[in-house]
Amino acid sequence: MPKKLVIPIGPQHPALKEPASFDVTLQGEKVENILVKLGYNHRGIEKACESKPYLHDLYLIERVCGICSHSHATCFLQAVEEIAGLNVPMRAKYIRSIIGEMERIHSHLLWLGVAAHEIGFDTLLMYTWRDREVIMDLLAILTGNRVNYAVNILGGVRKDISDEEKGQILKAMDILEERTKYYAHVATEEITIKKRLSKVGYLSPDDAVKMGAVGPTGRASKITRDIRAEEKYAAYGEVDFKVISDDNCDVYGRALVRVGELMQSYSIIRQLIKKLPDTPLKVPAPLKIPAGEAVSRYEAPRGEDVHYVRANGTDKPERVKLRAPTLANVQSVATMLQKGYLADVTIVIAAIDPCFSCTDRMIVAVNGKSEMTWKQLRQHSIDWYKKNRGVDFTKIKLGIRS
Amino acid sequence: MILSLLQILIFPGFLFLFILALSAEYIDRKLYARMQTRVGPPWFQPFADFIKLLSKELIIPELADRFIFKILPLVACAAAATAFLFIPVYNPQSLFTFKGNIVAVVYILTIPTLTYFLGGWYSRSLYSLIGSMRVLTQLFSYEVPLLMAVLAPGVLASSWTFSAVINFYGANGFLFLVNIIAFAVAIIAVQGKLEKVPFDIPEAETEIVAGTFTEYTGPLYAYFKLAMNIQAISVAALLAAVFMPFGYNLGFFLGIIIFLLKILFIIAVLTVVRTIFARIRMDQMVRFCWKYLTPMALLQILINIIIKAAVTQ
Amino acid sequence: MENNHPIVERIAAKYPELAGNIKVQSQNRLWMKIPYSDFRKFLEFAVTGLKINVFCMLTGLDDKENFSFIYHMADLNGLILNIETSVPKTNASIVTITDMYPAAELQEREITDLFGVAIEGLPEGHRYPLPDNWPEGEYPLRKDWTQDRLNKNPLKEKTEDCNA
Repeated sequence: MPKKLVIPIGPQHPALKEPASFDVTLQGEKVENILVKLGYNHRGIEKACESKPYLHDLYLIERVCGICSHSHATCFLQAVEEIAGLNVPMRAKYIRSIIGEMERIHSHLLWLGVAAHEIGFDTLLMYTWRDREVIMDLLAILTGNRVNYAVNILGGVRKDISDEEKGQILKAMDILEERTKYYAHVATEEITIKKRLSKVGYLSPDDAVKMGAVGPTGRASKITRDIRAEEKYAAYGEVDFKVISDDNCDVYGRALVRVGELMQSYSIIRQLIKKLPDTPLKVPAPLKIPAGEAVSRYEAPRGEDVHYVRANGTDKPERVKLRAPTLANVQSVATMLQKGYLADVTIVIAAIDPCFSCTDRMIVAVNGKSEMTWKQLRQHSIDWYKKNRGVDFTKIKLGIRS
Repeated sequence: MILSLLQILIFPGFLFLFILALSAEYIDRKLYARMQTRVGPPWFQPFADFIKLLSKELIIPELADRFIFKILPLVACAAAATAFLFIPVYNPQSLFTFKGNIVAVVYILTIPTLTYFLGGWYSRSLYSLIGSMRVLTQLFSYEVPLLMAVLAPGVLASSWTFSAVINFYGANGFLFLVNIIAFAVAIIAVQGKLEKVPFDIPEAETEIVAGTFTEYTGPLYAYFKLAMNIQAISVAALLAAVFMPFGYNLGFFLGIIIFLLKILFIIAVLTVVRTIFARIRMDQMVRFCWKYLTPMALLQILINIIIKAAVTQ
Repeated sequence: MENNHPIVERIAAKYPELAGNIKVQSQNRLWMKIPYSDFRKFLEFAVTGLKINVFCMLTGLDDKENFSFIYHMADLNGLILNIETSVPKTNASIVTITDMYPAAELQEREITDLFGVAIEGLPEGHRYPLPDNWPEGEYPLRKDWTQDRLNKNPLKEKTEDCNA
């Protein structure tokens, strides 16, 4: 019998782009048990939201996550607008959907690259990330920013899409569609990819419901739930698209679902651009939101994003609660990894497209010491190194050597 | 005496090998980058990396055996370089020759792999431990097909000595093309020996950080990397001598150029393989080696025995 | 809006006394309040009878004397049933629902960490989301909590050996 080893994957590990910790108990190369620990990215956003006006909250919530920033902001706004009874103009809804789909494209391309890297296929990583630049540049043209677009405001959007920009969007979609077809071809034909992804991280449809898997993770296990189709929020009621699902129930299925969704996104953006109605961009919004509560759902690139807002009639919310898709998905990882191999751990974790910043959001990140001034902080670090590492920085003189 | 010392130290010995090894790394990285639509490093990057690593701080884990930990990278370098001295470069005669030296070279080339295993084992780190277990498992899978494939041409030549094999095929025109199956098997097995995609399992970055080399830093890591590069050259030279036994009797300069071209070709093939595949899993690798590679190598030996029987009759 | 939603009718058929507590906000949003004593019984009915088998979110609220919890449950067709229940602060303890909805585990841990509500029957595991050296008795999402409380009760210094 080989000895049992507990391998720590995280909080810092080359395979994880964000801190989270998975303690994997191994028997030989086989995984016996896995313990998940999250919470390294807690920043206190929910608490902070309670002490700021709605407009400030919007920008704070946009920073819950770097990649799905638009998702969180839109989801939050939908809840607030529902409570306030604001009727958002159609053009604003269209623009929100367009940016949302672009965000999905950017996120899925990023995921494809990361997944390829996890299985040691760096060539695909380089290719997809090159193409991701196309959509990032497009977002920068449309909103002025590559990640935190801040295109939403209460009651509408802040920026219009001009005719010239429409042309650029359509051109970019053509380029990306052609490249995505090529990746779909590679993913389905390349033998080592198939070997590494098929039958890995199996999640049965029943387990998927039980563990609350959402988004592409759930859809790859035959659960055809897509909030865009269910709720028809923003402008999704006016376009046609297919809900992509797959019956492989493994990592390979999750990859196919994401590639399929990319193709759908291109088509959705084309339809939206074509139909873009001519209405004002926003309606005036009150500073004080009347008392009430609302739950809002949004299909973020990683799955269903849920926000709950309770207003109390002032300009600050009583309570804001958000649940990012990763929190729902991460609990199924242990199920997926049963009887797996160590080599599969990271790809299975990556296959839910985890975003731990999204997941961990609450607490104000003060420890008692953050009240220190710069000088005190510097002194503290000097003392710490002296005590724990035996290095005395005060004796080190910095200077340019001649 | 002085002449052979010069030969060992300068040409075709260590200095030549050192430059060749780092240039090969450059070619590998540049090709890899260009195939991934990246720009790639400038020509002096491997040299700069080597010098930079030498100047870095050396950290030895508390639990590691200090002596063994330090000596292993040098052993790896020395073994990889020694193997090269037995392989012919521009004439059929290698620097030091004896009967059956093909077998000897293959075995000397196993020593670096064993040092990777020991290095990981004595690091006493979890990632290194798993890495070193994978090194061994992998060794047992690719070594058998590699040995059989490399020895197959010798079966036809009735000798496992470089000079005899080269002279035999030199006298028989295009007969060396018979060994094409063994060549393919060897190229794939070598990918495992050099720990490159799809067989970079022992140092799979996204699973076990850097595998056996996780705890190695600074100069020691530089020597391990150098050993890896020298190993690549030695293996390429071995494959060139055994599977492309032509152009060895054309004098010094033409001989060197042909030798370099052959090395370049093999390095390029290895790079292409690592560009177009994903890393496979340990169990898949073992199964692949025993199910496909070993029977293919056996088939080659069988073919060579039959041809030989037909020729002698 | 009228209370003529099919789900409302089915709830009313089984629990006539609850029908008055249901608010239909829109076709896909139902809100209901339920005393904590009836909560688990109703939840069992929701899983088996109403097929509301997706757990979406668990919101904790600090309502002055009480802690309120909103269980946001969904079915596979897009309906969200928001079940609100509350326990007094003097007896801040609820029973886990992970036996029916395993997905609720992390969010129940969140309630424990951030509100200081005990959850009975929750399996052993790491705390979430606060750090391991977080001081005891500090529950940041309670309304009376402010961050300067951490000056009096600072984070614990960790002495654990990382290699252990």
